[in-house]
Amino acid sequence: MAKKEFSFELKSSLSELDNLCEKLEDFGQKIGLSKKLIFEINLALDELFTNIISYGFGDEEEHIIKVTLTPQKEELCLCIEDDGTPFNPTDFAAPDVAASVENCKIGGLGIHIIRKLMDEICYQRCDGKNILTLKKNLSNEAS
Amino acid sequence: MEIIEEKQSDINIFKLNGRLDSNTSQGFEQKIFQAITDGSKHVIVDFKDLDYISSAGLRVILKATKAIKREDGQIMLCAMQDYVKEVFEIAGFDSFLPIVATMDDALKSF
Repeated sequence: MAKKEFSFELKSSLSELDNLCEKLEDFGQKIGLSKKLIFEINLALDELFTNIISYGFGDEEEHIIKVTLTPQKEELCLCIEDDGTPFNPTDFAAPDVAASVENCKIGGLGIHIIRKLMDEICYQRCDGKNILTLKKNLSNEAS
Repeated sequence: MEIIEEKQSDINIFKLNGRLDSNTSQGFEQKIFQAITDGSKHVIVDFKDLDYISSAGLRVILKATKAIKREDGQIMLCAMQDYVKEVFEIAGFDSFLPIVATMDDALKSF
Protein backbone atom coordinates (compact mmCIF):
# COMPACT_ATOMS: atom_id res chain seq x y z
CA MET A 1 0.00 0.00 0.00
CA ALA A 2 1.41 3.38 -0.99
CA LYS A 3 2.26 5.93 1.66
CA LYS A 4 -0.30 8.58 0.98
CA GLU A 5 -1.43 10.90 3.68
CA PHE A 6 -5.04 12.01 3.60
CA SER A 7 -6.25 14.75 5.89
CA PHE A 8 -9.34 16.88 6.38
CA GLU A 9 -10.89 19.23 8.90
CA LEU A 10 -14.23 19.03 10.67
CA LYS A 11 -16.08 21.81 12.46
CA SER A 12 -17.12 21.36 16.08
CA SER A 13 -20.71 20.30 15.37
CA LEU A 14 -22.28 16.83 15.53
CA SER A 15 -23.78 17.40 12.07
CA GLU A 16 -20.22 17.02 10.76
CA LEU A 17 -20.55 13.25 11.33
CA ASP A 18 -22.12 12.98 7.85
CA ASN A 19 -19.08 14.76 6.44
CA LEU A 20 -16.76 12.38 8.34
CA CYS A 21 -18.60 9.41 6.83
CA GLU A 22 -18.32 10.78 3.27
CA LYS A 23 -14.62 11.57 3.65
CA LEU A 24 -13.87 8.09 4.99
CA GLU A 25 -15.82 6.40 2.23
CA ASP A 26 -13.89 8.39 -0.38
CA PHE A 27 -10.60 7.56 1.27
CA GLY A 28 -11.48 3.89 1.72
CA GLN A 29 -12.47 3.47 -1.92
CA LYS A 30 -9.33 5.23 -3.11
CA ILE A 31 -6.97 2.93 -1.28
CA GLY A 32 -9.16 -0.18 -1.57
CA LEU A 33 -10.24 -0.80 2.03
CA SER A 34 -12.98 -3.32 2.74
CA LYS A 35 -16.44 -2.05 3.72
CA LYS A 36 -16.01 -3.63 7.11
CA LEU A 37 -12.79 -1.72 7.70
CA ILE A 38 -14.33 1.56 6.58
CA PHE A 39 -17.20 0.92 9.02
CA GLU A 40 -14.79 0.24 11.89
CA ILE A 41 -12.64 3.30 11.20
CA ASN A 42 -15.75 5.42 10.92
CA LEU A 43 -17.06 4.10 14.24
CA ALA A 44 -13.78 4.69 16.11
CA LEU A 45 -13.42 8.24 14.76
CA ASP A 46 -17.12 8.96 15.37
CA GLU A 47 -16.77 7.95 19.04
CA LEU A 48 -13.73 10.18 19.49
CA PHE A 49 -15.26 13.08 17.58
CA THR A 50 -18.51 12.82 19.58
CA ASN A 51 -16.50 12.83 22.84
CA ILE A 52 -14.58 15.91 21.76
CA ILE A 53 -17.75 17.79 20.78
CA SER A 54 -19.65 16.72 23.90
CA TYR A 55 -16.95 17.39 26.52
CA GLY A 56 -14.00 19.10 24.91
CA PHE A 57 -15.04 22.72 24.52
CA GLY A 58 -16.23 24.98 27.30
CA ASP A 59 -17.25 27.81 24.97
CA GLU A 60 -19.65 28.44 22.12
CA GLU A 61 -16.90 29.20 19.61
CA GLU A 62 -16.39 27.14 16.51
CA HIS A 63 -13.37 24.85 16.72
CA ILE A 64 -11.63 22.76 14.12
CA ILE A 65 -10.91 19.06 14.55
CA LYS A 66 -8.23 17.75 12.24
CA VAL A 67 -8.21 14.15 11.04
CA THR A 68 -5.21 12.59 9.30
CA LEU A 69 -5.19 9.10 7.83
CA THR A 70 -1.88 7.54 6.85
CA PRO A 71 -1.80 4.11 5.24
CA GLN A 72 1.44 2.33 6.07
CA LYS A 73 2.74 -1.03 5.00
CA GLU A 74 0.62 -3.24 7.20
CA GLU A 75 -1.30 -0.77 9.24
CA LEU A 76 -3.44 2.28 8.99
CA CYS A 77 -2.59 5.22 11.21
CA LEU A 78 -5.44 7.54 12.25
CA CYS A 79 -4.73 10.81 13.98
CA ILE A 80 -7.31 13.18 15.46
CA GLU A 81 -6.32 16.59 16.80
CA ASP A 82 -8.36 19.17 18.73
CA ASP A 83 -7.70 22.29 20.79
CA GLY A 84 -10.16 21.40 23.57
CA THR A 85 -9.53 20.81 27.26
CA PRO A 86 -6.89 18.16 27.99
CA PHE A 87 -8.51 14.75 27.75
CA ASN A 88 -6.76 11.42 27.65
CA PRO A 89 -9.23 8.66 26.77
CA THR A 90 -6.63 5.99 27.49
CA ASP A 91 -6.86 6.91 31.21
CA PHE A 92 -10.25 5.28 31.38
CA ALA A 93 -10.46 1.68 32.50
CA ALA A 94 -12.56 -0.69 30.43
CA PRO A 95 -16.11 -0.96 31.80
CA ASP A 96 -17.24 -4.23 33.34
CA VAL A 97 -19.02 -6.41 30.88
CA ALA A 98 -22.68 -6.10 31.74
CA ALA A 99 -24.74 -9.20 32.31
CA SER A 100 -28.20 -7.65 32.31
CA VAL A 101 -30.14 -4.61 31.22
CA GLU A 102 -30.42 -3.47 34.85
CA ASN A 103 -26.65 -3.47 35.57
CA CYS A 104 -25.61 -2.06 32.27
CA LYS A 105 -24.05 1.38 32.50
CA ILE A 106 -23.41 3.38 29.42
CA GLY A 107 -20.43 5.49 30.55
CA GLY A 108 -17.16 4.65 28.84
CA LEU A 109 -18.84 2.63 26.14
CA GLY A 110 -17.43 4.72 23.30
CA ILE A 111 -13.87 4.23 24.57
CA HIS A 112 -14.49 0.52 25.08
CA ILE A 113 -15.60 0.25 21.42
CA ILE A 114 -12.48 2.11 20.23
CA ARG A 115 -10.22 -0.22 22.24
CA LYS A 116 -11.92 -3.26 20.73
CA LEU A 117 -11.70 -1.97 17.16
CA MET A 118 -8.18 -0.56 17.17
CA ASP A 119 -4.83 -2.23 17.81
CA GLU A 120 -3.02 0.70 19.37
CA ILE A 121 -4.05 3.97 21.01
CA CYS A 122 -1.63 6.70 21.94
CA TYR A 123 -2.38 10.08 23.53
CA GLN A 124 -0.22 13.19 23.52
CA ARG A 125 -0.85 16.72 24.72
CA CYS A 126 1.22 19.06 22.63
CA ASP A 127 1.07 22.86 22.05
CA GLY A 128 -2.36 23.13 23.67
CA LYS A 129 -3.74 20.31 21.57
CA ASN A 130 -5.00 16.80 22.24
CA ILE A 131 -3.44 14.47 19.72
CA LEU A 132 -4.77 10.95 19.65
CA THR A 133 -3.19 8.40 17.35
CA LEU A 134 -4.88 5.10 16.59
CA LYS A 135 -3.40 2.20 14.69
CA LYS A 136 -5.30 -0.50 12.91
CA ASN A 137 -3.51 -3.59 11.72
CA LEU A 138 -4.38 -4.36 8.10
CA SER A 139 -2.59 -7.67 7.72
CA ASN A 140 -5.59 -9.73 8.85
CA GLU A 141 -8.02 -7.88 6.65
CA ALA A 142 -9.39 -9.40 3.50
CA SER A 143 -10.56 -6.51 1.38
CA MET B 1 -31.94 9.16 9.27
CA GLU B 2 -35.51 8.24 8.52
CA ILE B 3 -37.77 6.63 11.13
CA ILE B 4 -40.99 4.99 9.99
CA GLU B 5 -43.52 4.28 12.71
CA GLU B 6 -46.14 1.59 12.21
CA LYS B 7 -48.64 -0.15 14.40
CA GLN B 8 -49.75 -3.80 14.17
CA SER B 9 -52.50 -4.53 16.72
CA ASP B 10 -50.91 -3.38 19.99
CA ILE B 11 -47.31 -3.49 18.74
CA ASN B 12 -45.44 -0.28 17.91
CA ILE B 13 -42.89 -0.84 15.15
CA PHE B 14 -40.00 1.54 14.47
CA LYS B 15 -38.21 1.02 11.16
CA LEU B 16 -34.83 2.72 11.14
CA ASN B 17 -33.29 3.79 7.87
CA GLY B 18 -29.79 5.27 7.59
CA ARG B 19 -27.37 6.01 10.41
CA LEU B 20 -28.04 6.05 14.14
CA ASP B 21 -25.27 8.20 15.67
CA SER B 22 -24.92 11.06 18.14
CA ASN B 23 -26.37 13.42 15.54
CA THR B 24 -29.55 11.40 14.88
CA SER B 25 -30.12 9.43 18.11
CA GLN B 26 -31.98 12.24 19.82
CA GLY B 27 -34.76 12.20 17.22
CA PHE B 28 -35.20 8.46 17.67
CA GLU B 29 -35.12 8.79 21.46
CA GLN B 30 -37.95 11.32 21.34
CA LYS B 31 -40.09 9.10 19.10
CA ILE B 32 -39.65 5.87 21.05
CA PHE B 33 -40.13 7.57 24.42
CA GLN B 34 -43.27 9.27 23.14
CA ALA B 35 -44.67 5.81 22.37
CA ILE B 36 -43.68 4.51 25.82
CA THR B 37 -45.22 7.54 27.51
CA ASP B 38 -48.40 6.95 25.50
CA GLY B 39 -48.60 3.49 27.07
CA SER B 40 -47.03 1.27 24.43
CA LYS B 41 -45.80 -1.96 26.05
CA HIS B 42 -44.92 -3.93 22.94
CA VAL B 43 -42.22 -2.43 20.74
CA ILE B 44 -40.24 -3.75 17.77
CA VAL B 45 -37.23 -1.91 16.36
CA ASP B 46 -36.54 -3.01 12.78
CA PHE B 47 -32.85 -2.59 11.88
CA LYS B 48 -33.13 -3.93 8.32
CA ASP B 49 -32.30 -0.61 6.65
CA LEU B 50 -29.97 0.70 9.33
CA ASP B 51 -26.43 0.92 7.96
CA TYR B 52 -24.60 2.24 10.99
CA ILE B 53 -24.83 2.56 14.76
CA SER B 54 -22.54 4.15 17.35
CA SER B 55 -22.58 4.08 21.16
CA ALA B 56 -25.05 6.99 21.09
CA GLY B 57 -27.51 4.69 19.29
CA LEU B 58 -26.85 1.83 21.71
CA ARG B 59 -27.52 4.23 24.57
CA VAL B 60 -31.02 5.01 23.28
CA ILE B 61 -31.82 1.32 22.76
CA LEU B 62 -30.66 0.51 26.30
CA LYS B 63 -32.56 3.41 27.84
CA ALA B 64 -35.75 2.46 25.99
CA THR B 65 -35.37 -1.21 26.98
CA LYS B 66 -35.05 -0.23 30.65
CA ALA B 67 -38.12 2.02 30.43
CA ILE B 68 -40.25 -0.65 28.73
CA LYS B 69 -39.17 -3.31 31.25
CA ARG B 70 -40.18 -1.03 34.10
CA GLU B 71 -43.69 -0.99 32.63
CA ASP B 72 -43.66 -4.80 32.33
CA GLY B 73 -43.56 -4.45 28.58
CA GLN B 74 -41.38 -6.10 25.95
CA ILE B 75 -39.04 -4.81 23.23
CA MET B 76 -37.64 -6.84 20.32
CA LEU B 77 -34.79 -5.85 18.00
CA CYS B 78 -34.78 -7.50 14.58
CA ALA B 79 -33.10 -7.88 11.18
CA MET B 80 -29.71 -6.34 11.99
CA GLN B 81 -27.04 -6.11 9.31
CA ASP B 82 -23.78 -7.85 10.22
CA TYR B 83 -21.74 -4.73 10.98
CA VAL B 84 -24.49 -3.29 13.15
CA LYS B 85 -24.88 -6.55 15.04
CA GLU B 86 -21.14 -6.59 15.60
CA VAL B 87 -21.35 -3.27 17.44
CA PHE B 88 -23.92 -4.80 19.83
CA GLU B 89 -21.55 -7.74 20.30
CA ILE B 90 -18.48 -5.56 20.96
CA ALA B 91 -20.48 -3.67 23.59
CA GLY B 92 -21.65 -6.97 25.11
CA PHE B 93 -25.27 -5.88 24.60
CA ASP B 94 -26.17 -8.97 22.56
CA SER B 95 -26.04 -11.05 25.76
CA PHE B 96 -29.02 -9.34 27.36
CA LEU B 97 -30.98 -7.58 24.62
CA PRO B 98 -33.60 -9.54 22.69
CA ILE B 99 -32.15 -9.63 19.17
CA VAL B 100 -33.85 -11.85 16.58
CA ALA B 101 -33.12 -12.53 12.93
CA THR B 102 -36.36 -11.47 11.25
CA MET B 103 -39.46 -9.33 11.67
CA ASP B 104 -41.55 -12.53 11.69
CA ASP B 105 -39.55 -13.84 14.66
CA ALA B 106 -40.08 -10.55 16.44
CA LEU B 107 -43.84 -10.53 15.81
CA LYS B 108 -44.18 -14.14 16.97
CA SER B 109 -42.52 -13.39 20.30
CA PHE B 110 -45.44 -11.34 21.61
